[in-house]
Amino acid sequence: MTFSPDRPTMIEFRDVHKYYGDYHALRGINGTIRAGEFFSLLGPSGCGKTTLLRTIAGFEGIDNGAVLIDGKDMAKVPANARPTNMVFQSYAIFPHMSVAENVGFGLRRDPRSRTEKAAAVEEALEMVGLKGYGARAAHALSGGQRQRVALARALILKPKVLLLDEPLSALDKKMREHMQVELIKLQRQVGITFILVTHDQEEALVMSDRIAVMFEGQIAQLADPETLYRRPNGRKVADFIGTMNFIPCQILSETGGRIEVEAKGLGRVMLDEDQVPPARGEGEPVVGLRPETLTMLYPGQEPQERAVAGRIDEVIYFGDMTYYDVFIGGTDVEVRLSMRNVPGRPVLDVGTEVQLAWSPSALVLFR
Amino acid sequence: MAQSKSSEARTGWLLISPPALVTLLLLAAPLATVLVYSVLTGSRGAVSLPFSAENYYNIFRSSDGNILDLIFSGEWGAIPAALTKAPYLLVAGRALFVALLVTLATVVLAYPIAYFVSFHVQPSKKALWLFLITIPFWTSYIIRVALWRTILGYDGIVDSSLMGLGLMDGQLNILSYGVTSIIITLAHAYAPFAVLPVFVSLEKVDRSLLEAGQDLGESKFRTFLRVTLPLSMPGVIAAVLIVFIPTVGDYVTPELIGGGKVPMISNFVEVELLKRRNFAMGSALAASAMIVVAVISLIFILMNRRFLGGRK
Ligand SMILES: Nc1ncnc2c1ncn2[C@@H]1O[C@H](COP(=O)(O)OP(=O)(O)O)[C@@H](O)[C@H]1O
Ligand SMILES: [Mg+2]
Repeated sequence: MTFSPDRPTMIEFRDVHKYYGDYHALRGINGTIRAGEFFSLLGPSGCGKTTLLRTIAGFEGIDNGAVLIDGKDMAKVPANARPTNMVFQSYAIFPHMSVAENVGFGLRRDPRSRTEKAAAVEEALEMVGLKGYGARAAHALSGGQRQRVALARALILKPKVLLLDEPLSALDKKMREHMQVELIKLQRQVGITFILVTHDQEEALVMSDRIAVMFEGQIAQLADPETLYRRPNGRKVADFIGTMNFIPCQILSETGGRIEVEAKGLGRVMLDEDQVPPARGEGEPVVGLRPETLTMLYPGQEPQERAVAGRIDEVIYFGDMTYYDVFIGGTDVEVRLSMRNVPGRPVLDVGTEVQLAWSPSALVLFR
Repeated sequence: MAQSKSSEARTGWLLISPPALVTLLLLAAPLATVLVYSVLTGSRGAVSLPFSAENYYNIFRSSDGNILDLIFSGEWGAIPAALTKAPYLLVAGRALFVALLVTLATVVLAYPIAYFVSFHVQPSKKALWLFLITIPFWTSYIIRVALWRTILGYDGIVDSSLMGLGLMDGQLNILSYGVTSIIITLAHAYAPFAVLPVFVSLEKVDRSLLEAGQDLGESKFRTFLRVTLPLSMPGVIAAVLIVFIPTVGDYVTPELIGGGKVPMISNFVEVELLKRRNFAMGSALAASAMIVVAVISLIFILMNRRFLGGRK
């Protein structure tokens, strides 16, 4: 990740609230998006991602707070005067126009000559890999091509911020993965701030410099992908991003930020300050452990730190990986771990007794 | 496979044959009669052989000689004066002019109504609005025309209100201006017909396209001109056809509203067929009107193709 944290602020949310009738869609959004950043709004469907994106674009008024773009309050700035452009979820390609007319739609008041504008359109099409498609009818394009037209149409106007509402969700898996890489490259190339809305945590992790995880109209955590993955600030974020094993535990003692817990099946563990996120959820305390931080010990291997005995309950084979669900320490606590399938390492059967190596520093306490 | 298809086709033919027969008898047969009569020689109350194009030739008649003759002999200068004295051409021109004005007035009236219902009425109330728009159809057209007479006529509602308000001294008597009152009456009668196709085409406009228009820097009005209006053109052209075709041949309105003072094509056809009993001439007039309407409609349909061509 080439992102440097000292870039200037591009967008600032100050306690943004939005109501649809009685429904409180945005419940106090705060945070900043920096210039040149690839930023994602991530959350389950219905959490308010699109609504928040539309408050930036100017399609949705807000009931409280402020949205600032490049330091200016946008309260009285209509959508057509904002320095943002949007790639709509449906792409919103004008069906009565050619590809070139679509891409050049926003250039009407551009003072450049007709030939200069045509050259700009061609250049924008080339940037998204649609060189020579200008004369085609827009309605005859495939989904992936429409999306490229939508991108070219927005980028040709050189906005300060490009807004993308689930741009990849309509594409098939192969195309989606291809476009993820293309979008990242494109963003590096143009240097414009991209704000991506997605409900796909993998997509957000792959593409973003920073991610805001949203639940029910609020930002639960705003951080870079690695922090989100390794140090989620609450049970919900941990559960939403990747896979997380939750193991019931008891808090034994707290001394100067360090906490000792007794985790069921794992035994006593001492946790550092940074393993205890401040957000307090409801319910009994649990420790979280990612599947890849657990390793199956094969005969003759020694654990680097600690090990726990277990019995395989379920085997899920993925080709390059195998997931095992294992009961640990003779308890009813089941954890999932993932093992790479390398040559000479057989896939084990259900019921096999195994030893799992784990590291206390990989634990996160949620209480 | 092929067999089942052909038996399916046979069933299909069987199913549509009763209505097809009725259509043939009630529509195609009279039409054919009119076309055949129009190229026969007419005399009072009868038609007879030989075939001739004389009836069509006579449509171009004027008191300064036949206009076709003037064209073929190259006397271009005499044509404008002759046109003002050609009864059939004058009435045909007037009918087209009135029909175009009525169409224009109707569509210009209907578009904002359709737009309002499509864009500003809650989805749950749209059906109710469309229902209300069709209320004028609940009364027969003749009664509605009679009502317009009392509204527009001498000492009618318009005149008495204007005079009561002191805005006017004398009677306006709009009814006496035949063309104006015909246009008002027809436009009112056909507006609901025009609202529906325009409404349907506006409903089909993807709303995110309008946001895209604004997102790309255009005002709401400009977005309307560049996106909404072109995308609703198929509906507009359908509305134009729906209004234009029947108004060209309208018979009742000029009879009742214009007081017969401004006859249209149909009134002339009636005179030829029923009063002069020249069936051949009447048929030629009717056929000519049909041809003109067909040509104009075809132009509109081709335009519609062009607009539809850009969409799935
Ligand atoms: N125009 C609207 N009117 C009423 N409710 C809306 C409207 N738009 C969105 N909502 C509601 O607001 C919530 C958030 O919607 P949205 O921002 O589209 O979610 P997301 O994009 O995260 O899936 C949803 O519960 C949705 O039903
Ligand atoms: Mg959404």
